[in-house]
Amino acid sequence: MTVLGEIALWIALPVALWGTVLSFAGGRTGRGGLVLSGERSAYALTFLLVLASLGVVAAFLGNRYEYWYVANYSNRELGTYYKIAGLWAGQRGSLLFWTLLLSGFATIAVFRNRRRNREFMPYVSGTLLAVLSFLIVVLLFAGVNPFERLGFVPANGRGLNPQLQNYWMTIHPPTLYLGFTAFAVPFAFAVSALLSNRLDSRWIAVTRRWILLSWFFLTNGIVFGMRWAYEELGWGGYWFWDPVENASLLPWLTATAFLHSIQIQENRGMLKVWNMGLVAATFLLTIFATFLTRSGLIESVHSFAENLKIAYIFLGFMGAAAAFCVVLVIHRLPSLRSDNHIRSFLSRESAFLFNNLLLVGITFAVMWGTLHPLITEGFFGQKVNVGPPYYNRVNLPIGLALLCLMGIGPVIAWRKASTRNLRRNFAVPVGVALVVLGALAAVGVRHGMALATFAVAAFVMSTVVSEFWKGTAARARISGDGRLRALRFLVRRNRRRWGGYVVHAGVVILFTGIAGAAFDEAVVHELAPGESASVRSAFGHEYRLTYESLSHSRPRVRPDVQENDWRWTALLTVHRDGERLGVLRPERRFYPVMDEASTEVGIRSTAFEDLYVIPREVDLESGSERATFEFKVLPLVPWIWYGGMIVAAGTLIGLWPVGQPGRARTAAPGSRAPVGGRPVGAQSARVPERAA
Amino acid sequence: MTVLAGGVLLAAGILIYLLEPVFSGRRSPIRGEDSDPRTEAAARRRAALTALRDLEYDRATGKVDGKDYEALRTELSREALRRLDEGSLDEGGASRELPAEQVSRELEDEIEAIRQALRAGLRCAPCGRLNDDGARFCGGCGRRLGPAGGRA
Repeated sequence: MTVLGEIALWIALPVALWGTVLSFAGGRTGRGGLVLSGERSAYALTFLLVLASLGVVAAFLGNRYEYWYVANYSNRELGTYYKIAGLWAGQRGSLLFWTLLLSGFATIAVFRNRRRNREFMPYVSGTLLAVLSFLIVVLLFAGVNPFERLGFVPANGRGLNPQLQNYWMTIHPPTLYLGFTAFAVPFAFAVSALLSNRLDSRWIAVTRRWILLSWFFLTNGIVFGMRWAYEELGWGGYWFWDPVENASLLPWLTATAFLHSIQIQENRGMLKVWNMGLVAATFLLTIFATFLTRSGLIESVHSFAENLKIAYIFLGFMGAAAAFCVVLVIHRLPSLRSDNHIRSFLSRESAFLFNNLLLVGITFAVMWGTLHPLITEGFFGQKVNVGPPYYNRVNLPIGLALLCLMGIGPVIAWRKASTRNLRRNFAVPVGVALVVLGALAAVGVRHGMALATFAVAAFVMSTVVSEFWKGTAARARISGDGRLRALRFLVRRNRRRWGGYVVHAGVVILFTGIAGAAFDEAVVHELAPGESASVRSAFGHEYRLTYESLSHSRPRVRPDVQENDWRWTALLTVHRDGERLGVLRPERRFYPVMDEASTEVGIRSTAFEDLYVIPREVDLESGSERATFEFKVLPLVPWIWYGGMIVAAGTLIGLWPVGQPGRARTAAPGSRAPVGGRPVGAQSARVPERAA
Repeated sequence: MTVLAGGVLLAAGILIYLLEPVFSGRRSPIRGEDSDPRTEAAARRRAALTALRDLEYDRATGKVDGKDYEALRTELSREALRRLDEGSLDEGGASRELPAEQVSRELEDEIEAIRQALRAGLRCAPCGRLNDDGARFCGGCGRRLGPAGGRA
């Protein structure tokens, strides 16, 4: 199986190149036979890459340590799930997996458009296959072939990094990769639109759901990553501003900007060049993220000499792709002129524009911080890392401004809003924000940034709620329906608008959760079994934790069989204000094959806060079983996860396929529709989607 | 050896699969079912009507009012009418058949309704309702319909 996989990967290269050439040639000459052959290449490629990936998985499951990749990311003791996840545990497998997902999406895009949007398709499949060709070339020739053999067969592999041995390992990377790769499809359509000079909003309408799909996976991937860091890294945080995290955030930021700015293009025919820039930037950033994630370029520029080669190849590709896009856009500038201009500073267009500027501002700030070590090393010979303080100082104010805009944008009219209307529409939300501010200040909250965040969150939340309320009321008034029916109608008529509002609500809750970090409490205690310690919550109550006992899993008797890990589990009982809540079982683990230790924290979650127990050290030598614990109370952390779920739900509302509810009620084709038969006011249009 | 044979078979199969369309004359369509040149006009028409309906929505939820609303509505209605006329010019009588499977008939109905109403002046400005042909008072709010109230 593994050898067949390797053969499949070699066959994949000519197939991808063939497909690229024939698709472009077919598009250029208008010969359908060539186009069909190019499209078949996409199908064949996916088949071959599935074989190659199965080959890698088979090598993991069969403990084939003669392969470098398997020997470095697995060992006999590793559980089956982690062996399967070995496909994306390291750089080589990740690249193959990335290529497989991209090829899968290319296949779906080609198949779904086998009869529609045909003018775009030759260049779309050509672009996707060109990117795939590049990735396969890298896999085969840049020293990252997952099928590379060692030349000897080690008795056992080196094992998987303990921090990757967590169930999120099987969920988080694939989700993020799905987000990265799905964005290649809108990019391919953009390139196709440029090449074929079809530069109206059609390529956007066609790819809207792809954009949302990619955004959905990116968002979930990032939130899952936060969750993983929170559970596994054992310090009570969920975001490091670490280069790899930043790498996933960058395309998310530009994709978010893009999601907003395409609405201006669709509604007002503006920002066409800007949108091309954003779609290209997002695609390039997904490539950047992939290569950064596993290359180790930033953290250790010199220690991974073999990876520098691939870094240069990727940088070269990104440079070439960027140059290609710039030249194309310049070439098509006459077709990319705006149909309109912004008429008033007080309008939804300008709110969207500010949103875009802020998102791009954060992108640059994060990019600068991420590349700072490289830049300083290149220019001054000394690597200077920037830490979380830099990111927080720069990004928190911008984030807060963005949050504000989230409340302003939806309430302000397209084209031109009058100040009188603004005053009327914002009176209640601003009032709510002030009340929240006053109430929090009254109960003694003094943290400026947190106060500002909570107040702005209240403002945005009340605008979202009032949008729903007013929209439903207007619809109910016109149609005479009940509120619930009216709401259903509204959402169904414009999923994008209302799904977007739900996403906004989720983001507000998520931000509130992040602001909760201002009120974290932490204490460190060294305890012997039977002793206890307390930690006070920001909400006023007190947790009392009693260290009851320590248990450990013993190494097996047979010396030739090792465990993957040895575990020492502390048992703690938890009381809140005297009431017994239950037990927590934090662990210290030791991985003998890798000679590494790790921490498994104990978390007790309520709706408003988490109790988070880190076992820092366990004294095993003296036999006293004394242990040092850090107890943390982290207010509002669960809101981050709730917010993430609401964001996901909102995105799904926007993504849901548009049905054809009007069909059954419509008169036969050819006949005149009944005039004025249905009230039209106060509904927003559901423009028929020709989703790709 | 078996593996190698499998690889050769795989390569041969794919080769045939890829070459077949080049020589057999089977082909992918170059123009889609929805690629009628008129879709461009239809898209603009929809954009104009969408803008009009968004304005109505903004009006109903209190985001625009008074003079702004009147001015914008006049302007957008004019734009929409122009687009509609453009559309019907090159579509002729076949306009109901035009949109492919994806185009919602419901929206087409509404477009038709708006088109009629714009011409007949039956949209009630204060509440946005479209009234039946020949109506003199709005069926939604009871106000009198007239040139000032409805005609674009």
